[in-house]
Amino acid sequence: MGEAFLAVKDIYKSFNGQKAVNGVSFTIDKGEIFGLLGPNGAGKTTVIRILSTVLAADTGDATVGGYSLRKNPAEVRDLVGVCPQDLALYEDLSALDNLIFFGQLEGLNGREAKAQAMSHLALMGLTERAKGKISKFSGGMKRRINLAIALMGNSKLLFLDEPTVGIDPQSRNNIFETIRGLRDKGMTILYTTHYMEEANRLCDRIAIMDGGKFVAMDTPQGLKRQIGDPDKVTLEDIFLKLTGRSLRD
Amino acid sequence: MKQLRNIWLLTVKDLKLFASDRGALFFAILFPILFIVLFNYMMTGVMGEDTRLEINIATQEPAGGISYQLLAAMETKDDATLKPGEPKIIWLKDYEQAKQDVENKKLSGFIAFPKDFSEAVMIGYGTSLEVIFNPNNTQATAALEGVAQSIASELGAAQVVNDAVISLLVEKDLLSPGTAGDLGQSIRALLTRQATTSDVMITFSTQTAGEVKAENPANFVVPGYLVMFVFFTAAFSASQLVKERQNHTLERILSSSANRNAVLGGVFCGTAAKSLIQITIFWAVGILVFKMDMGVSPLAVILISILMIMVSSAFGVMLATMVKTERSASSIGVITSLILAPLGGCWWPLFITPKWMQFIAKITPHAWATNGFNKLLVFGSDFDSVVPEMLVLLGFAIVFGLIAILRFKTDAE
Repeated sequence: MGEAFLAVKDIYKSFNGQKAVNGVSFTIDKGEIFGLLGPNGAGKTTVIRILSTVLAADTGDATVGGYSLRKNPAEVRDLVGVCPQDLALYEDLSALDNLIFFGQLEGLNGREAKAQAMSHLALMGLTERAKGKISKFSGGMKRRINLAIALMGNSKLLFLDEPTVGIDPQSRNNIFETIRGLRDKGMTILYTTHYMEEANRLCDRIAIMDGGKFVAMDTPQGLKRQIGDPDKVTLEDIFLKLTGRSLRD
Repeated sequence: MKQLRNIWLLTVKDLKLFASDRGALFFAILFPILFIVLFNYMMTGVMGEDTRLEINIATQEPAGGISYQLLAAMETKDDATLKPGEPKIIWLKDYEQAKQDVENKKLSGFIAFPKDFSEAVMIGYGTSLEVIFNPNNTQATAALEGVAQSIASELGAAQVVNDAVISLLVEKDLLSPGTAGDLGQSIRALLTRQATTSDVMITFSTQTAGEVKAENPANFVVPGYLVMFVFFTAAFSASQLVKERQNHTLERILSSSANRNAVLGGVFCGTAAKSLIQITIFWAVGILVFKMDMGVSPLAVILISILMIMVSSAFGVMLATMVKTERSASSIGVITSLILAPLGGCWWPLFITPKWMQFIAKITPHAWATNGFNKLLVFGSDFDSVVPEMLVLLGFAIVFGLIAILRFKTDAE
């Protein structure tokens, strides 16, 4: 075990009396990619919204880089970058304007924001489209911009909420390579996805969540070992075994 | 300091979005200007246009009489030659028809020369001009009587001069009393001929008391539509915040260094900046194109404009915190704007509406803003007279702003 950059302790959150997050605790080490899997409505996005200070937990707390969510939300915000599940972009602005705007909100000055924006656009293979309006971009390009915005600033912890939904294999591969590159540079990443293969390839550890709780947490190999030979069992097998086969809304 | 910078960044972002949206630019700036041009044109003449007085004159004399010569000399042949305030003289050729028209209220009234006018003038026994009028039209009656008296006194003066000259000649033994009558008739004929060939049988003098001029309709139209469209734009800005919530950019902003107050401040300032651009353009068009007069206190006009921006922006933010979808934000924006604008006197001056309507109007910020502008630009009031309007507008801004702050705090959760 390395140094825990994110430590979550007993977080609860209810909406209209219904428990969305029901006592979640976990840690993520610095430079680790932590996968959070779960069916629809399991509470994954609510956890991310709480940890990024958009929502306040009913009870419990977490620390990011030693700063408490409750006591030091501003410091926590400075350390985290969020790539939301939905495309959070201004369609009528250019890619560059989107990146610069969010970069400046992360505390960069104009020059720094532009330099970082161009660097991230290059990373995503979108330098040529820097001045193009987002509304003219394909789904894959929008996804890449959505991720590039999360990288703006000086974040140390990234929350990536299903960043590869609905995109082609090329864009997905580009995003994977970017995420691995970030990990290699010491970025801590919390990654949620419905794609088991993705989680298997990318994540150092995985938690499976259902009904607002963690039902399992281990390395991909460790999880598979729980129900059989890790070379024969897939993550999907363990996922379905733990969360059931009934359909979710 | 950090949050002030964030407010600035959010404001600039809003302005960029506004500038990139051609539809929004059309509806916020070009459409209102077209509206103002149209209504300014329609209102021209409604507010104090100088309508020219028309004097109708007829004669009962047979053709060839002196009255015919007088009427030919007096009749206005070309309206363009009339001086400001000078009445138009219309010769009614058919006395009976004119009388019928007065009875049927088609004509307000007319002056008529009697059948024996020529004979009476030539012999000098005196006669009367007939004034036929509709008793309900007191203004026209007064004008007709005035003109009739002018004609009578002109002719009477000629008679007096004639009689005085003949008396003097008889007194000085230069003329025998027996031939005085013939000479009198000859002089009367001469004077009458002179009068009928002259263009100045009756002259009209017009005096202006004080600086009275036709009201420039732009002084009412521009502020009214300015208030309406600034509120309209602010109400539509409400949908921007809802859109931010729906497309998750709000969530992204809230996970950055910007806190909730900065987001709220950014939305408020973004809306206010758009309104400021609108107002600056409207006033510039009003002054440069419609020759609007800023009244005796341009400072008060500017202050009311700024307060109105604050009220409308706070209203927009408050609305944004009350609706859940972009469609409902737009619908409520349109409905509130279309109800509050006429109620608040943006479409017509409140001072021409019934008292009860003026009373109800006071619940709208529109009424206080338009009332303030009307006082300054239409009635020429000074700064002190619009202080109550300014205070009420400030009150509206504070109330709307507080509601927005309280609701946004809980709403974001």
